[in-house]
Amino acid sequence: MELYAILKLVWAGLLGVLLIGLGVMMGMDMGVGTLLRFVGRNDGERRTALNIIGPHWEGNQVWFILGGGAIFAAFPTLYATSFSTFYVVMILLLFSMIMRPVAFEYRSKVPGNAWRETWDWAFLISGALPMIIYGAAFGNVLQGVGFHFDWTAQYHQDESFIWYLLNPFAILCGLLSLALSIQQGGAMLMIRGVEPIYGRARTYASAAGLVAAVLFVLGGVWIQFIKGFVFTGKVDPSMPSTPLGGPAVARQAGAWMDNFHAIPILWVLPILGVVSMVLASISLRANRPALGWWLGALSWIGTIGTAGVAMFPFLMPSTTNPAQSLTVWNATSSAYTLGCMVILAGIFVPIILCYTAWCFSVMRGKVRVEDVVHDDHSY
Amino acid sequence: MTRLLQIAALAVVLVFALLFAVVAGDYAPWYFAWMVGTVMIILIAAAGAVLFETQEAGRADGRDPSF
Amino acid sequence: MDQGVVDLSRLQFALTALYHFQFVPLTLGMTFLLAAMETVYVITGKPIYKEMTQFWGKLFGINFAIGVATGLTMEFEFGTNWSMYSHFMGDVFGAPLAIEGMMAFFLESTFVGLMFFGWNRLSRGGHLAVTYLVALGSNLSALWILVANGFMQDPVGATFNPDTMRMEFTDFAALVFSDDAQAKFVHTTIAGFVTGAMFVMGISAYYMLRRQHREFAARSFRMAALFGVISSLAVVTLGDALGRLDYLVQPTKLAAMEGIWHTTTPPAAPWTAFAIPDDVAQKNYAEINIPFVLGPLVAHSFSTAIPGIIDLEQKARVNTVRGIKAVMALHQYSEDKDPAALATFKQYEQDMGYGFLAQRYAPDQDLSKLTADNTPAVLDRAARDTIPNVFVEFWGFRMMVACGFAFVLVFAFGAYFSLRNEIEKHPWLLRASMWAIPLPIIACEYGWIVAENGRQPWTVYGWLPTYMSASSHSVGYMIFSLIGFVLLYSLFIAAELYLMFKFARLGPTDHAAPKPLEGGGPLTFSRPGYADKSWQ
Repeated sequence: MELYAILKLVWAGLLGVLLIGLGVMMGMDMGVGTLLRFVGRNDGERRTALNIIGPHWEGNQVWFILGGGAIFAAFPTLYATSFSTFYVVMILLLFSMIMRPVAFEYRSKVPGNAWRETWDWAFLISGALPMIIYGAAFGNVLQGVGFHFDWTAQYHQDESFIWYLLNPFAILCGLLSLALSIQQGGAMLMIRGVEPIYGRARTYASAAGLVAAVLFVLGGVWIQFIKGFVFTGKVDPSMPSTPLGGPAVARQAGAWMDNFHAIPILWVLPILGVVSMVLASISLRANRPALGWWLGALSWIGTIGTAGVAMFPFLMPSTTNPAQSLTVWNATSSAYTLGCMVILAGIFVPIILCYTAWCFSVMRGKVRVEDVVHDDHSY
Repeated sequence: MTRLLQIAALAVVLVFALLFAVVAGDYAPWYFAWMVGTVMIILIAAAGAVLFETQEAGRADGRDPSF
Repeated sequence: MDQGVVDLSRLQFALTALYHFQFVPLTLGMTFLLAAMETVYVITGKPIYKEMTQFWGKLFGINFAIGVATGLTMEFEFGTNWSMYSHFMGDVFGAPLAIEGMMAFFLESTFVGLMFFGWNRLSRGGHLAVTYLVALGSNLSALWILVANGFMQDPVGATFNPDTMRMEFTDFAALVFSDDAQAKFVHTTIAGFVTGAMFVMGISAYYMLRRQHREFAARSFRMAALFGVISSLAVVTLGDALGRLDYLVQPTKLAAMEGIWHTTTPPAAPWTAFAIPDDVAQKNYAEINIPFVLGPLVAHSFSTAIPGIIDLEQKARVNTVRGIKAVMALHQYSEDKDPAALATFKQYEQDMGYGFLAQRYAPDQDLSKLTADNTPAVLDRAARDTIPNVFVEFWGFRMMVACGFAFVLVFAFGAYFSLRNEIEKHPWLLRASMWAIPLPIIACEYGWIVAENGRQPWTVYGWLPTYMSASSHSVGYMIFSLIGFVLLYSLFIAAELYLMFKFARLGPTDHAAPKPLEGGGPLTFSRPGYADKSWQ
């Protein structure tokens, strides 16, 4: 295999790591935002819930930004095409995302029910909507998206955005991602929270884990009937990165299962997903929130890993011109850029993980209502 | 002996800093200027505050408050 | 491409970028100013400096949140609205953005949490280190963003690959150390230092005028004035360096900034201090000229002629003729991979961007439909397009420069009187500092306008025209997103200003002592005035 093909594979793997990091870390904060109105029945409790992730949400959110940046750097054509094709959905995601930093910083700075109630609604929207859209994006991509390119490689959209928002499989995937985020956020609220937040979070999070498991299995059955994509022409993994003039592609029902049939060991991923969701739910019930948090992270690995392996090497298949589908082989950067970025990611990602872990350890410990309302610096 | 080692270590740091300055001055003059300049700006602002405290102490002692 | 969609995309990008850029400079400067205050706290051990760090840190936080929020938009807008640009330049342009996330934004965002929450959990030195890391992170963010922007202004370190139809990265070092990126990084971050210093100095002046928090205000004023006086001098120096760079790599931008219609005749070539440039008639009205200044100012030489707009347009016309050949050969090559077409393309490759410019005016935007009859008109329009709007450049530049020199004056007087401890005897200066708080932000916005409007009609200078770069959305999509942005951003700025004024007016005094809470029990919404001051 040529170096270029290996670099493309490495970046496909790193893309997976980023998407999982995004799901685990940002999903956790989003889950807390979604649960805020339910675990906190009065202002002190809500502020406590916010301050549990208070020192970390900003860092966690960077996974989202880095996700965007890394797709831009390593898969520029995918970045350009997917964000533009899903325009209305992406803009809704942005609108909800940009409320969050402002809500964190401004909510508790003014006393007053109306002010704080408004921001609490902002937390609910900016917690739930991005996670639904995150999952729905996977759901849409699994079904293929209507777009094609002209000779300058400018994309043209062939479908309405309403479909992306309202098709049932995408909604199922969106709910799955929402459930996983509630599980993760609930686990965090349990780790650093005390009663009554602890007990309420436990109820919601353990239920969310079971719901996620059911939705995941349901999606697995559904995917058998969805038309997947498969190469019929000869594939050269080292081909120049352009969606134009690539090998022929066919659509077949159940084609997303081909990789699992070819390499049975891959079944580990979906099994890991379901088992972790159920076990996470059980360990949260059994008052082992830290274990539940890590099992929640494994659920994300199983879920995104399953979707990625099912589609490999497709990233964003086209229904209207399947030969122009974006794949790991034709949507990446040049070998030079991929190489530079591998080196830089190899240096910086471990550093990031180290100082993130250090920050969590500095700020570890329970957050209590009386600490929050007495502290000068809390949200 | 310890003193000698300290001087040697300082000398190494100095040589390294000089080499860095020479290389940075060639390839990245403005970046280098930024590093030096920002450190200088911070130090001068901090020195201004320290001077303020000295002036305050001088005023408390009844000496001339201006410098 | 529908021109209406391109214009709306440009409008949206300009609005969101200008909005975002209201908050960025303050972040860049305040972080280092906070670090300086905390350094004094650690050195002297005087609690008032901790109080200063915390109070200004609170105002910084109000600003920082909205800066982060609106920055999200910027990271994704290239993909949502500039798909052709992202595809065409992503191989080069995406890398600095991703590095920004890994190297800078993670650093800044992870530690900013500790900076606000870690006061009681970290040692003095540990917390100081965290504050410096936040400052370093936010300024490194600016570095990578400006490296990316430097590529749009002066595309170095990349070549066009006809097989993938995009620019591809060839030289990382050339991109990072490009002159434009370097000078722009220093100019922009130091402009941020000026903004932060003016903010602290102005609010301190407000307290002094009202004889409030005098111990606190005098120290803050002193530090900010010294911080600002050097920064404002550095900004002016770097502005001069950038002007010279524009002369070297972006002659159209420079000519528009200085309102030079005809190539100058050294050494007497005058610098135009005042004029009303007319883009249609291509001349200046009501000029006030200062002879012998332009050459040394721009080219640092008395003997160099500065090319004027009308001559640059003629040159662009020649480029366009060659560019049309390049694009037609490229189109043919993309269809049949004909080596002869590739050879033709290689011959005219340097002018490809001008061919794309002409394509906009060709019948059906198809260059193969050009005939001997319609070609001259197309060439004229394409050549005219290569000149940015002169009025905006000319006046944007002058407003920015005027602000810059005003800052030097205000800071110089402020520093002088503060060092003599007689600042309270000069209320005119205190008032001037207070009213000057928004000026650096306005100057930064003008700087962005001059830099990016002056780059037009290109997104990447000389290679890719703006009209081609946009996503092929419908007008409806654009109206939807524009209305959303305007509504949300208006609400945000209202909330931001409300909190900023509220906390600035409130000042630092009742900040220090912890407040007992009535009852200490769980709070409910039903109790009016619950947790009255707990937001402190």
